[in-house]
Amino acid sequence: MTAETQRDKPGKTDETMKRYLETGNFAVAQAAVMAGCRAFCGYPITPATEIAEAMSKLLPRVGGYYVQAEDETAAMHLAIGASLGGMKSMTATSGPGFILYADPYGWAIGCEVPLVVLNAQRVGPVSGITGAPGQGEFYLSRYVTQGGNFETIVLAPGTAQEAFALTIEAFYLSERFRTPVTILADQLITDGWEDLSIPETEEEKRLMGLKFFERRAHPGPKFYPPTDEIDVPPVVLGMGAGALCSDWTPTEEGYDIETVEAQHKHAYRLIYKIRNHKDIIMRSETLFLDEEPDLVVVAYGTPSRVVKTAVKRAHERGQSIGMIRPISLWPFPEELFKSRATYLSVELNYDGQMVREIQRAAPCGSEVHFFGKCGELPTVSELQEVFDKLLKGEPLQRRGWETEAW
Amino acid sequence: MKERTEILASGFGGQGVVRLGQIIGEAGVRQGLHVTMLKSHGTEMRGGYVRSQVVLSKDAIDSPICESPDCFIALSGAAYGQFRHLMPKYGIILYDPAFVEEISQSLDCLQKAIPAKELSSKNFGSPLFANSLVLGAVARLVGILDKDIVVESILRVMPKFHDENRRAFQIGYDYVG
Repeated sequence: MTAETQRDKPGKTDETMKRYLETGNFAVAQAAVMAGCRAFCGYPITPATEIAEAMSKLLPRVGGYYVQAEDETAAMHLAIGASLGGMKSMTATSGPGFILYADPYGWAIGCEVPLVVLNAQRVGPVSGITGAPGQGEFYLSRYVTQGGNFETIVLAPGTAQEAFALTIEAFYLSERFRTPVTILADQLITDGWEDLSIPETEEEKRLMGLKFFERRAHPGPKFYPPTDEIDVPPVVLGMGAGALCSDWTPTEEGYDIETVEAQHKHAYRLIYKIRNHKDIIMRSETLFLDEEPDLVVVAYGTPSRVVKTAVKRAHERGQSIGMIRPISLWPFPEELFKSRATYLSVELNYDGQMVREIQRAAPCGSEVHFFGKCGELPTVSELQEVFDKLLKGEPLQRRGWETEAW
Repeated sequence: MKERTEILASGFGGQGVVRLGQIIGEAGVRQGLHVTMLKSHGTEMRGGYVRSQVVLSKDAIDSPICESPDCFIALSGAAYGQFRHLMPKYGIILYDPAFVEEISQSLDCLQKAIPAKELSSKNFGSPLFANSLVLGAVARLVGILDKDIVVESILRVMPKFHDENRRAFQIGYDYVG
């Protein structure tokens, strides 16, 4: 029996592939172009600037376009425009820009525009610290715009190699689900350097488990079917009947309407096309869960790497411990939280975000705890102290401003 | 073989600390190893020290943090003071006495002076090649690194002054022999 399982993990590499020492930003740009992205509209911001820089070099060579906008709101509107024109498009930013995407993001969800959005989380609120990692946009990436009545798809890479694979996956899912997909990274993934394998041949791409989906155009006239079906081609303006793409409730033909019935049908589609096909999106990595451990540590993104080292070492010492790393963050993988246990959420924020979702998902009688760092990773040794306390049933104590308050 | 090798380099901004990490990382990739390299910048750079944390391993690397460095390259007194407490018994501190003036007598680990700035100035009339000297010492002292591949990586990352860099590397390599 294997203690370590990873469901559909993208990013398996082969020894023979071309290897680099590069940043996550480089990985994302290479992947985007490989996935068929031909328009990048953005506004540079640390720690995602190098994606814009790389795209400005790569895209003109493949007949694509790099557009530098006057701000992030304009950038995302332009990316939507490129997608509505029939191109696969992308934008990338950090927290201060991601919040400005709120308005156009809603438009893209409502009009079902395929698009890839990357957020390299840094320390907040507002401008915070530019060159340090944070995880403050867990919920913002779910409730990314106003009004409700939608689900979002959010993927969280833990390494540069995974950022490469998940960028390709994000384009794949955005086409199939006809919606924007957010890659929720952090500063250490985008700016950190790592060994990275980039596939060149079709065989290498297949070996890495990469999936691609070509852009199609909806022929009309029923552009907005009131169903949960996926693989419905997106609206491409000028193709078919030239459907409208406004921010109002659409009729099935894409005309504006303001009736409760039409809104219900549209909302049903925006919610259930994602909820009812969650299995296509779900990705996670778990450690030792089949042993029904007393303590289950949960983390995503870069801190999950330190957690993984700490959990493996604690397990070697004979502690009853396991780990869950959600790779797809939204829809939240609540089915992983089946057993009654003590859960510990390790996050790069002090307010505690994912911990609330774990509390919602964990079965009755479970305990849910939080350990937050921000701007820097936790260390293996301090995680070990927290594990020891929780496994002895002792309360976690305040360490300066690091507290369990959430 | 050790599960992982951790190399920490720290000094002031402008000393090429990130470049040092990048060259060691590049060598790791060329040797077919897994590599992570974190660089600390931003406020830390103005506040006192720049830091590169390199981890090398035959297996995929989970934690990218140097919590128990096998080798700590200390290029400023502040960096030395900040990170010396991390050193395990088996670790080595390589320090340039031009920048680290006082060393602690209470550490269990090996501490080796490499007067890189001075040797570079003496041999090449400029401190520019101090880092290649340091890399020569690192290549000799850190078991996992292959000498020839480190040289290749220096030449790949620093496109100019190939002869000087090669010679500086050898001086550093011989110095710690």
